[in-house]
Amino acid sequence: MENLNSYLIVSAILFSIGTIGVLTRKNAIVIFLSIELIQNAVNLTFVAFSRHLGNLDGQVFVFFVMTVAAAEAAVGLALMIAFYNNKESIDVDDVNLMKW
Amino acid sequence: MIAGDLMALMPLLILAVGSIIVLLAGAVRPGGWLYPLAIAIIAAAVVWTIAVPATAVMPGISITPFSRFFSCFLDGTGIVAMLLAAGYNRRRGIIGEEYPATLLFALAGMGTACAATDLLMLFLGLESFTFAFYVLVAIERNSDRGGEAGLKYLLNGTLSAAILGMGIALVYAGSGTLKLAELAMPGAARPFGTLVLAGSCLILFGLAFKLSLVPAHLWTADVYQGATAPVTALLSTASKGASLGVVLLLMPLFSALPAGHHILWWLALLSMLCGNLAALVQTSIKRMLAWSSVAQMGYAAMGLVAAPAGGLRAAAFYVVLYAVAGLATFGAVAVLSDDGERDAIEGYRGMGYVNPLAGAAMAVGLFSLAGIPPAGGFMAKFAVFSATLREGEITLAMVGILTALVAVFFYLRVVVTLYMRPAEGPVTAVRPLLTTEVVALVIPTAVLIFLGIYPSPLLDLLMTLLPGG
Repeated sequence: MENLNSYLIVSAILFSIGTIGVLTRKNAIVIFLSIELIQNAVNLTFVAFSRHLGNLDGQVFVFFVMTVAAAEAAVGLALMIAFYNNKESIDVDDVNLMKW
Repeated sequence: MIAGDLMALMPLLILAVGSIIVLLAGAVRPGGWLYPLAIAIIAAAVVWTIAVPATAVMPGISITPFSRFFSCFLDGTGIVAMLLAAGYNRRRGIIGEEYPATLLFALAGMGTACAATDLLMLFLGLESFTFAFYVLVAIERNSDRGGEAGLKYLLNGTLSAAILGMGIALVYAGSGTLKLAELAMPGAARPFGTLVLAGSCLILFGLAFKLSLVPAHLWTADVYQGATAPVTALLSTASKGASLGVVLLLMPLFSALPAGHHILWWLALLSMLCGNLAALVQTSIKRMLAWSSVAQMGYAAMGLVAAPAGGLRAAAFYVVLYAVAGLATFGAVAVLSDDGERDAIEGYRGMGYVNPLAGAAMAVGLFSLAGIPPAGGFMAKFAVFSATLREGEITLAMVGILTALVAVFFYLRVVVTLYMRPAEGPVTAVRPLLTTEVVALVIPTAVLIFLGIYPSPLLDLLMTLLPGG
């Protein structure tokens, strides 16, 4: 497949956007979204190489990554609601009770 | 799948189905009786694992003596943590079936991770027990610290999961396979390229997060402090044990890499230095133990560096003894905390006389972590250091020994507080220990002393399980 590189470039861009988002944003939900972007980069890499190598293992892995991401979202949003109830904020600057 | 495979897989099925049963039973009739039920389910899984020595090979998962050993070990820590939690959660008002059900689910995930034969099951196993810990860490929903610890663990954990996934994707891209057996043998036909190297480094980073090795350790102290003591007991022992089991499964891949040795070397060195030095200045016992667990994992990683000289056995032995000592110390913290967490080290003044059993368990656990005989930690440190010296890693061993000497100071400071300083103020009426708490403290303490005096059965067992190193 001659355009494998284009898929990988998109995947690398997604991965970078996600990483920058994790490092720079302050809102916990946006950080969480950025992490999901990284996982989508993982998925795209898997699918592209699965096609390229003619091997279905990668496609199967993607289904499980999506399942894991869904479970993560469920647990994560529940935790954020619990945190919001205590603090009235989901800004990571307010995650400051315990240091060092 | 044939009947034999099902027999071998049964312990994992018991835990997974048991988790659902506890969840459903709790919906029908909530109450404290779910804890004994969950303990019975874990005990059934342990008994089955020991009594039916079946091995099975299935797609993605294979029950081997190695995985059965780790299942027994992890289920054992699960039983102790559940015994501790039964009384503790009632005192702290944590009711509901979520705790026992999630703990069972975590154990099923750990068993899966240690039995994996391909990267897919390995990823799923690791993530399922980490998910369970996200819930367990924040189980005390109304506490500020619990919620904060949960959020910190969640954001760090999901990021490390994404990085782990990227690593697996790159390894798959470079080698065309997800099977560990094929990855372990880079055939002449397909030597490993840059992609596999990059992917393995990302996988190692994801696992370093789970083992809280420096530089992926920053979550450790906050999460340990924010979680309730029985959860910390499990998080610091079973989760580390399972992650080390996964690293042992992946060691053929890491040691085949040109840079694998150096990366592990630096992880071990930095963890020992950072962990021990940061633990020196802590005033909270849980943070002190958290930094000490960073350092302890550094010693275990030192065993991995010395893999060709029998270091893998030493690392597995080390993590077992670390886990038992962690259960004893965090167990004592859980037992000594009444309606509030007893977190400040100063709060333990004179506790060795007020509550002799908990004080003794904590002292033996701390002696073991410090590596003072006859507690088992001495044998573990001895095994790791001798493997490292056999491998010729003099610098690493020297740093390890020096940091271990530093560590003796902060471990013994707590023992001194326990026994040699009078309790503050008049001692109020002492809460009598529950039977579950007595059992949960006596088991790890007895195991520590037994393995400190007579470690050869466990060492021989590990010798047969990890013949390659």
